[in-house]
Amino acid sequence: MSFVNPLLLAGISLIAVPIVLHLVMRRRPRHLEFPALRLVRQRHETNRRQIRLRHLVLLALRIAAIALVAVALARPSLQLSKSLGTWGSREAPVAAALVFDAAPRMEYRQANETRFEAAQKLSEWLLRQLPRGSRIAVLDTRLGAAAFQVDRSAAASRIEQLAPVANSQSLPAVLDEAFRLLARSDLTQKEIYVFTDLARAAWPARAAARLQRRAAELPEVTVYLIDVGVDDASDFGLGELRLSAQLFSSRSPLRIASDLIRKGPAGQRTVELFVLNEKGEPEKRDERVVEVEADGTAGLDFQVSGLGEGAHQGYVRIVGQDGLAADDHRYFSVEVRPPWPILVVDPRSPHADAEFLSQRLAPDDWVKSGLSRFECETVAQPQLAKTELDRFAAVCLVDPKPLAPAEWDKLTQYVSAGGGLAVFLGRNARPVASFNSPDAQRLLPATLLRQAIAPEGDIHLAPRDLRHPILAAFRSAAGSVPWSDMPVFRYWELGKLADGVGVVVPFSDGRPALIERSVGEGRVAVMTTPLSDVARGDPWNLLPVNDPWPLVALTNQAMLYLVGSTEEQLNYFAGQTAMITIDPAVRYRSYLVTAPSGINFSLAVDPKENQIMITSTDEPGNWRVQAGGQTSGADHGFSVNLALKQTELERLTPDELSELLGPIKFRVARNRGEIERNVSMARVGRELFPLLILLAALILAAEHILANRFYRE
Amino acid sequence: MSTAEKYLKPEVIRQISRLDLRAQFIVKGFLQGLHASPFHGFSVEFSEHRKYTPGDDPKDIDWLVYAKTDKYYVKKFEAETNITGYLVMDLSRSMGYTYRQELTKFDYSICLAAALGYLMIHQQDPVGLLTFDEKIRNSLPPKTKRGHLGNLLSVLANLKPEGRTDIAQSLTQVAAMLRHASLVMIFSDLLVEPEPVLEALHRLRHAGHDVILFHVLDEAETHFPFDGMVELEDPESHHTLSLDAAGFRRDYLAELEAFRETYRRECFQSRIDYVALDTSMPFDKALTEYLVSRSARG
Repeated sequence: MSFVNPLLLAGISLIAVPIVLHLVMRRRPRHLEFPALRLVRQRHETNRRQIRLRHLVLLALRIAAIALVAVALARPSLQLSKSLGTWGSREAPVAAALVFDAAPRMEYRQANETRFEAAQKLSEWLLRQLPRGSRIAVLDTRLGAAAFQVDRSAAASRIEQLAPVANSQSLPAVLDEAFRLLARSDLTQKEIYVFTDLARAAWPARAAARLQRRAAELPEVTVYLIDVGVDDASDFGLGELRLSAQLFSSRSPLRIASDLIRKGPAGQRTVELFVLNEKGEPEKRDERVVEVEADGTAGLDFQVSGLGEGAHQGYVRIVGQDGLAADDHRYFSVEVRPPWPILVVDPRSPHADAEFLSQRLAPDDWVKSGLSRFECETVAQPQLAKTELDRFAAVCLVDPKPLAPAEWDKLTQYVSAGGGLAVFLGRNARPVASFNSPDAQRLLPATLLRQAIAPEGDIHLAPRDLRHPILAAFRSAAGSVPWSDMPVFRYWELGKLADGVGVVVPFSDGRPALIERSVGEGRVAVMTTPLSDVARGDPWNLLPVNDPWPLVALTNQAMLYLVGSTEEQLNYFAGQTAMITIDPAVRYRSYLVTAPSGINFSLAVDPKENQIMITSTDEPGNWRVQAGGQTSGADHGFSVNLALKQTELERLTPDELSELLGPIKFRVARNRGEIERNVSMARVGRELFPLLILLAALILAAEHILANRFYRE
Repeated sequence: MSTAEKYLKPEVIRQISRLDLRAQFIVKGFLQGLHASPFHGFSVEFSEHRKYTPGDDPKDIDWLVYAKTDKYYVKKFEAETNITGYLVMDLSRSMGYTYRQELTKFDYSICLAAALGYLMIHQQDPVGLLTFDEKIRNSLPPKTKRGHLGNLLSVLANLKPEGRTDIAQSLTQVAAMLRHASLVMIFSDLLVEPEPVLEALHRLRHAGHDVILFHVLDEAETHFPFDGMVELEDPESHHTLSLDAAGFRRDYLAELEAFRETYRRECFQSRIDYVALDTSMPFDKALTEYLVSRSARG
């Protein structure tokens, strides 16, 4: 219990007044002549006792009323939590952190005001309410360290400058920062004001758990969640775009799938697909009219064909306006390029093994229809020394025989310059001395020890960790790939793996089956059992027989990995670092990066690097990276989209919120009145004034009724 | 209601200032309300003989006396003579009380007494007046003459209720004063200890008198219409008591009823007519009581 005006408690002494009046100025009863007094006298005694009792009751009521009014004027309040050691006061300076949820969904517009503007407006008002001498920090969900502002006006101008950001952090992470900041303050009252729409996406459970631990160290901090969100938000939004490929060959069509996500009642929207032409102007290529159920999701599927070689950009958009514009556009960038040339080196001239592999990588009918990603050229191993390797994106050694040191050297140079090498070891790899020679070992990831034999057929490929890009194709089918139906009877057992060598796929006995290493700028992958060992009576494995789709997928992905396609990424989420691979042949010193808003800046590139890094991808849209003029120069592009969680409007329920914040003292307020009430309740406790005044009024009323009854005129 | 009958109401009668008119109005109003004449068939009891003189009705000649004495005598009947009535007024200070400042108990009693006197004199009954406080103050001997009514009313009109009272003592004195059996009509509020009063009443009754006890109380004394805190003062003893009137009303009324019941019971046992009145009640109740009592004697 604490009092705003403890001095007014002295008013309790006024209870002396009714007591004195009771004793001294007892109210005279009405004087009446009454001859029949003798009839009265007999029963008078009981009546007199009643009167005295009533007098005392009246006196007690009056004393209580006066005391209550005096106490009420002293503005007592009940501290709801005991953790504040000091007596609360409204006027004591506080250390306050104003945290703004700056996610794009805060741009949801209602009553001609975005949520963020509403938050700013409330915060400006709140800022004026903070007691003199308060330390104020302004944080938003951008990355960065927090600091107290110099003074109130600095805080106000900081708030004014705030704007939603595309790559908003989760609120618990920012709150964590706010807690750390407040911990450094020596003011006793510590408050965090979070301006948020209470969207579920902003409160990941794991971060919230971390926040709870942090908050446990600072129990004196009170968190006010100032809810500027809208309960019945209505919005159409686009889900993430799912591109069939980011890099693909010219003739294959680009398929773009997405979702129309509805928040609110059922509705219908037209969704359009635009692709930018050479001049950068959007051309509508497709549109869909989509019906979507209330709070439901409807699938979208676009197909674009006839894209020429080169970088292409475009976007999908919802026609019409709705509450949140940020999720009405999704951008994409793709690159169409010619098939990668692959050199397949066959140990023998009939090319049977090479042909088998070529068919897996580039089936004839795909090559004819232009859908093939690869173009395979086969040479016999003796011709390797004479073959120009630079024009190939990768080289495959199918069951190689021992190579001459010059050939190893040539391959090493090729790989170091950025080429890819795949080695499928098999029965021809004898004697092993050539493979274990120092020349070979500069390239190969390990020495060959011996052939391991497992005639029982209980050994098979057993990929465990599917995160490697080569295994990307198996991620969706994990567990259902029939590896055990494809036993491996024989494989090369390797010596100690060199540093930087990764096992991509092990055998079921744990020995390496597919390993890879980087050499220079290129990569080498080694398979310890052949993939093309067509059954000849004594096969090394049964991988190619029956339904060889795992084999096809594995070889294709391995090739894509070796040619560097899998890491080429053209579509990013806001905040991610974009990496643009540049063609070493046409290299420029500096590139001009153009943001979607049209702002451009030049970026100097290290001549040794093959990549451009762009870190400031905080603007959703299609970005352009150009050099050397419009016509003949380099022209790359990438797209930046908002992550889906940045625009999800789904709100937390009060229960979820309590669970997320756990032991943290928090209060939710929606408007000024609630903020004031909550803040004063937290600072000085629950005001008892209205309650006491009400009680006093009731007592006075009772006193009045009784007194009237007793002293009726 | 006929014009005459309304004069039975105290609130009407108090607007008439002259007591003789009051008495006349009350009685006329009362008689008009009766269906049979109260004078018919009263007391035909023989009382004395006197010599016949010309002009007397020959049917009244007592032939038996003529046979014995050979002289004409006529019978005289009691109806023609009287029931001697005494109006006994209590002059105590408390009788002058009224709560609503209209008719005091005393005014009410005076009106009633005047009406009764008027009635009696019109019936040829002699009526006298006695007033008392601590002892007998005024005494008007009973007469039948018309002129007597004027005396009676003027005495009544000039009475003032003041001072203390001793009903028992006064009644004892009355009993000693009255030689013939009479009808004693007592007007009092009886606000004294009942035992001595009852004793005096018994004595009066034993002396052969018929007694009608008009117990007149003020309206406020029978209804206790007060509210809130009041301080009550006895006008005679000047004792005061403070009490919460509303809370006390029930107790008071019970006490009053017990008080009246005592009188009612005792009076019934000694064949005294006890008439409980208050100043708001019409006068006919009292008059009826008198007539009933009168006929009982007839």
